[in-house]
Amino acid sequence: MTPRTTTRRWRARRGTSRRHAPVLVAGGVGLALAVVAAAVAWGWRDELPDPVASHWSGARADGFMSLEADLAVMVGTSAAFVALFVAIGVRAGQSAAARKVAAAGAVGLSALMAVLVPGSLAAQRGLADAADAPNPGTATALSFAAMVALGAAAWFAVPGDPPSRADGPVPADAPRVPLGDGERAVWLRRAAGGVGIAIGAVAVLVAVSSALASGTWGTLVVPLVLALVLAAMFAFTVRVDATGLTVRSALGWPRSHVPADEIERASVVQVRPFGDFGGWGWRIGRDGRVGVVLRAGEGLLVERSGGRSLVVTVDDAATAAALLNTMAERAR
Amino acid sequence: MLWTVDPAAEEPLYAQLVAQVHLALARGELTPGERLPAARELATSLEVNVHTVLHAYQQLRDDGVLELRRGRGAVVVQGAGTAGRDLSVVERALAAFVDAARGAGLSTEATTTLLKEALKG
Repeated sequence: MTPRTTTRRWRARRGTSRRHAPVLVAGGVGLALAVVAAAVAWGWRDELPDPVASHWSGARADGFMSLEADLAVMVGTSAAFVALFVAIGVRAGQSAAARKVAAAGAVGLSALMAVLVPGSLAAQRGLADAADAPNPGTATALSFAAMVALGAAAWFAVPGDPPSRADGPVPADAPRVPLGDGERAVWLRRAAGGVGIAIGAVAVLVAVSSALASGTWGTLVVPLVLALVLAAMFAFTVRVDATGLTVRSALGWPRSHVPADEIERASVVQVRPFGDFGGWGWRIGRDGRVGVVLRAGEGLLVERSGGRSLVVTVDDAATAAALLNTMAERAR
Repeated sequence: MLWTVDPAAEEPLYAQLVAQVHLALARGELTPGERLPAARELATSLEVNVHTVLHAYQQLRDDGVLELRRGRGAVVVQGAGTAGRDLSVVERALAAFVDAARGAGLSTEATTTLLKEALKG
């Protein structure tokens, strides 16, 4: 091995670990939230009934366990989610978007648990019998708010990808749209609906009716969040122009932009939502591929510098791919 | 759909956009009920004035192809276009016509004038 390749490998490895550092920090924050929440609740042990209530059906507590077990479940669940998201962020973190999702997941779900469990215990302080414990509707609502707020903070704290131009020419066999020298072009298409929105609509209905049936207003947060997620995940505008590819949800967020000068090549792929991405919506798939997956079948694949790639299921992907290749070539 | 404008072409920019919508309808790439892109988005991407796109949309409304509604944007009206009629016969005849015109040494202007004259008949 020559000194030069050693240096290059060392640099590559260092680049990777630097890229993953924010994900590891987010994992640490998630674990810290769980430990601090457990310590706070443990401080109340003399005021809490034994066992404590840990599950409710409607207004009535119907699940009980020791404080130790309740806190162990909380810390264990948080640790499992942190491990899962850190693994995603490290193994599939080529794109900043994937690392942002991983950090937001690790911190957000830990925040949810860290508010929900102590919140349900706080209302039991001073009770002799845990059967009298009130349903923690307010704590549920607060825990979702904490998840969204801290998850979003983690998302924004992870830095985006620095600009990185694609090397070399666009492959000669990649299709193109014939355009005159001064001719300008844009390809626009809406992608919406699919199986995801049907499943989501059912989930919203179920969540609303269960919240109404149990009479706990706090849990109405769940269908509200679901409806927002649906609007964000299942209606997109796809645009190809001289600036590159832009995929924007109907809410304006999430959005993804691939600059024309970072595109290696665009092509058409057949997408299997479950096999390739584990479901529908805005997703991180195998090998760190980012997917906007609304249905099975034809999709636009954009391969980008740094081993990053993006897939959007959209009709007429062949035209979009050809125009992207043309625009990528112009940007070289 | 794919939209192009060529600032170097003789045809006004708005007319180029109008022609593309008519063609997309004829090919079935645009269907009744479909919503066209927001004028601002189209204008930004094509680096043209937003009024150029609005001019095209108004022309298409006058042609009976679009419905313009505040807040809803430009929607293709029911019954517009020919819903994906097979244009391959026309395209083949056109290719033969272009070949013949080039073979006769006609300029682009002379060829399009001939075509326009023929369409009037």
